[in-house]
Amino acid sequence: MEHTDVQIREEKFVFTDKAKRLSFILMGVGLLLALIGYFTYHPSIEGFTDEQNHHLPMKRLLGSMLFNGYFFFIISTCAAIFIAISQLANAGWYVAIRRIPEAMSEFMAYGAGIVILVLIVGLTTLYHWAHDGVMQSDPLLAKKTWYLNKGFFYARVILFTSFWIWCAAKIRQWSREEDVNSTGLLDTTYFDKSFRLSASFLFVFAFTFSMFAWDVTMSMDAHWYSTIFTVYNFATGWVSALTTIYLLTWYLRSQGYLNIVTDEHQHDLGKFMFAFSIFWTYMWVAQFLLIWYANIPEEVAYYKPRLEGTYKLSFFFNIAMNFFIPFFLFMRRGAKRHRGLGAFVGACILIGHWNDCYLMVMPGAMNLATAITDHNPTGIIETPSQGWGLMELGFLGLFGGLFLFVVLKALTKANLYPTKHPFIMESALHDTGV
Amino acid sequence: MDTDKLHMVNTPRKEMQFMDNKMLLGVYDNPDSTYAVTKQLVKGGYDVHDVYTPFAVHGLDRVMGVKRTRLSIAAFVFAMCGVASALTLITYASAIDWPMNIGGKPSLIGPDYIPITFELGILFTAFGMVGCFFIVNRMFWGRNTDVIDIRVTDDRFVIAVNIHENKTDVKALEGIFVTGGALEVRERVKEI
Repeated sequence: MEHTDVQIREEKFVFTDKAKRLSFILMGVGLLLALIGYFTYHPSIEGFTDEQNHHLPMKRLLGSMLFNGYFFFIISTCAAIFIAISQLANAGWYVAIRRIPEAMSEFMAYGAGIVILVLIVGLTTLYHWAHDGVMQSDPLLAKKTWYLNKGFFYARVILFTSFWIWCAAKIRQWSREEDVNSTGLLDTTYFDKSFRLSASFLFVFAFTFSMFAWDVTMSMDAHWYSTIFTVYNFATGWVSALTTIYLLTWYLRSQGYLNIVTDEHQHDLGKFMFAFSIFWTYMWVAQFLLIWYANIPEEVAYYKPRLEGTYKLSFFFNIAMNFFIPFFLFMRRGAKRHRGLGAFVGACILIGHWNDCYLMVMPGAMNLATAITDHNPTGIIETPSQGWGLMELGFLGLFGGLFLFVVLKALTKANLYPTKHPFIMESALHDTGV
Repeated sequence: MDTDKLHMVNTPRKEMQFMDNKMLLGVYDNPDSTYAVTKQLVKGGYDVHDVYTPFAVHGLDRVMGVKRTRLSIAAFVFAMCGVASALTLITYASAIDWPMNIGGKPSLIGPDYIPITFELGILFTAFGMVGCFFIVNRMFWGRNTDVIDIRVTDDRFVIAVNIHENKTDVKALEGIFVTGGALEVRERVKEI
């Protein structure tokens, strides 16, 4: 209500040398760890021939690269989706923090680059279905040949990701131009433009993300399918994106930026994190419960290896980090407004969803292909769990550092909040009540 | 202005007993002056009984110093009651009273407990909260709600200030109401 208290300033983010150094150290240490991990990994698994053992280091290297790249890619994509949804819902409250998801969406190109690079280099190394002859000789896979073949696969992944990147770039560009060219708060030229693009972006995204998730993660285990898998993948990316926005907002506020952002905005982001952690759990349970209860061999084949060895640890770690910690620690109103607790829960959610991506990709990626016999009708040799190692953590550091660098760099390119967005005053006066 | 005459019908039903039973009402037609006057009154140390508005006015609750609701604690307690009764029910029915072998699944505590526990938790919370709402607002069958001024259900804003004998300067209070842009200032007896 008290308009006199609000000052819309043209804030610029300064990317300090300290922060730059930190992101470079993360990248360097990550790369080093990954390389050390690769060269010191000499598995000798019982029952495997020397040649089979020899395949594993490369599989693990590319697999770690894929799931880490995928993790950061869906975070940046869901940040763009956050803008599109808020734009389409005519939301006002988020405008003060809008530049943060915009900056995160700049990572999309890098994330897509990493994923596509791994797919080009390691399709046959990682994906069982990509081996020559597998699709034809396996009766279960033969029916999927029209969809799951290399040409169509690459076409889909490249086409979809480039369309999303283009949409995000356009919305970002219009938002930045608005700061310069808009005549005032009543000028809705740029608002209307990005409203229209957001609508088509969301419509296309809903369908194409389904296929993207089937292609990149679900086809790791090509025999298996789940109809809720896409929603579950989206929930993973969406919660992680909201958490990243929440943490970056705290970071910027603690550095003295974002004068119009208050605990109210922070509280609303926290509510989103809380609610969508439950949403993720709902999807996760919905997928697991039916498969567990029906107990059909071809469906259970997905969960059986994930409940053995260290995968079992990751499996329960997943629920603890992604459901129990946010649910019980973030339920109270004060918790969402508390910087220390918020940072702790946010870190837990991010680690949990990183582990979730790990569990989606690695068990399938480590499996070996063999000839189809009556004894082994799937033609897959399962590799026992290898745990989290230097490679998984190394690529987390490498891509995490890159993500940090790209996002903070992108924040310097424009004002820290849009000064001429039609809803900026509404956002500055945002209040959720006592 | 038919609505402005309606308050005449809504005259106090009870006889005046004590001076401490009275309130002074200021009627306004916009949220901004309501907000400003409320702020001035609270700062001036007046005992603001409540402010009645046709829609939520942002920031008003803070100015009035309204305490945080305890409804969320009640919700948590209800949810836990639901969870406890669900677990008791399923355990008794499927593990103690009549255990059945369904595909070799364990009959005691399994993932199949989740949906029922979840649903009963929500059901108890929903019913409990509705019950709470009725009790807290003293709403039950046969009771006529006493609306402070019938026009707050349409487009008027009413600030009600308690008058304490020998403590409240009614003249000054009236002055604040009128200079704040009140359409009307009048006394009424507190109910409840």
